[in-house]
Amino acid sequence: MIQFQDVGLRYGDGPEILSDLSFTIAPGSFHFLTGPSGAGKTSLLRLLLLSLRATRGQITMFGENVRRLNQDRLLQMRRHIGIVFQEFRLLDHLTTFENVALPLRVLGQPEAEYADNVRELLEWVGLGDRMEAHPPVLSGGEKQRAAIARAVIGRPDILLADEPTGNVDPELSERLVHLFAELNRMGTTIVIATHELPLLDKFKYPHMVLSDGRLIINEK
Amino acid sequence: MKNSNPPPHSRTTSIVPERSITGRTLMLLIAIMTFLSCVTLGGVVLVQKSAIAWSSDVGRQLTIQIRPVEGEVMESNLRTALSLARATPGVARASILSLDDSKSLLEPWLGADLDFSALSIPRLVIIELSDPREADLAQLRRNLEAIRGASLDTHSAWRRQLNVMAGTVVVSGLLVLALIVTATVLAIIFATRGTMASNRAIVDVLHFIGASNRFIAGEFQDRFLAIGLRGGIVGGLAALAFFFAASLAVGNVLPDASGAQLGILFGRFSLGWDGMLAIATLVPIIAGLTAITSRMTVRSFLRQIS
Repeated sequence: MIQFQDVGLRYGDGPEILSDLSFTIAPGSFHFLTGPSGAGKTSLLRLLLLSLRATRGQITMFGENVRRLNQDRLLQMRRHIGIVFQEFRLLDHLTTFENVALPLRVLGQPEAEYADNVRELLEWVGLGDRMEAHPPVLSGGEKQRAAIARAVIGRPDILLADEPTGNVDPELSERLVHLFAELNRMGTTIVIATHELPLLDKFKYPHMVLSDGRLIINEK
Repeated sequence: MKNSNPPPHSRTTSIVPERSITGRTLMLLIAIMTFLSCVTLGGVVLVQKSAIAWSSDVGRQLTIQIRPVEGEVMESNLRTALSLARATPGVARASILSLDDSKSLLEPWLGADLDFSALSIPRLVIIELSDPREADLAQLRRNLEAIRGASLDTHSAWRRQLNVMAGTVVVSGLLVLALIVTATVLAIIFATRGTMASNRAIVDVLHFIGASNRFIAGEFQDRFLAIGLRGGIVGGLAALAFFFAASLAVGNVLPDASGAQLGILFGRFSLGWDGMLAIATLVPIIAGLTAITSRMTVRSFLRQIS
């Protein structure tokens, strides 16, 4: 599904912050991406999200060399990728329902077409009674579940999550990872960036460890 | 798993927040710019209408002037000139300006106490044409050559001056209108960039969830079109209210004499249906201009950050 070959990344004329990354993410796999703060986890996620271009090396996604993609193809490919941010990035003036429906709305689908799916998904993540609430009145856990629902409503092939448990308590962190595991069982490829060691110990998924811009994969 | 009681979901909220300080400021700015544009355009329409009316009125009136010449009988020459005028095709009415009327004309310059009998003043025959295009003025001019001291004044120099003056005012007004529109476009560009910067988080989220630049630009364009329409309607209505109040003021508030003078200059200070239509047309033009300018600015902004 995703293959990195000798990938390097630098911002402007600065030092290389990711060096010689070579790995493969198979369809339907689940990986934790970990490492100390500043190791380059977010930069790697942005490469996976196609919002950054590698300075060197080759990235192949869904069988295509991403360097050769034009803007339209890049956009189409990005629609196969879901993203969950640590700080949720929900739009405060939209309801939970509208936030979750956003990826379908930008595709031009009418509300009548997606309304049932959105409600069903919100029920599944436990937000069935919070559909009309706006993000400022949601708890941290509710916001994160809404963000996850938004990331998966378009049925992406791969789901990326940047510190999704960073703003919630340990109990909720576990429940969220269970949610990701459930999605993975349904066929979605998952990559979660986190530095929470208890989670890494509890869930036996492979670890991609970034240190000083280099990557080591620990298969569990 | 399916929700048996779906929440009442009314209408879809705009992706770009409807209420923001930038939006309100831009709406006020567009309302002011529309008001200025409409007042300028209305002024141009008024001046143009008045100029056409002046030119038409002056163009219908001619004057035969008969200067006192030694050995000539003034009254006889006046009657001859009157007959020649009345016999000319295209002349509706002709009359001799009485001595008293001539004195009244000169009073503002020479004073009321002057003894006019001691002066040899020129006398006038006033001619009103039914249709200036049909009048054979060349023939009248030739015929008047038989009367010593007679000359025909068609007021053409006045008309030319009036037309030049009115044309200058109209061109200046249109130039001012162009400057206002340019200033409006620049203000919209700055406001759009400000709005984009303040909504950068929304733009980023839209990008991350796979929205195309075209979709994002469309969302912002809809928002700015709504702001432009609202501002344009407020400014246009304010301008119409201004012209209505001004026409009332000329008719009722100003003393009769001042009102009459302004009436001569600007007609009845009334825009008429065509003037109001011009103002009404300006409103969607400014709204459309707002939408197009903001769309181009948004597309340029998105290209920069993509």
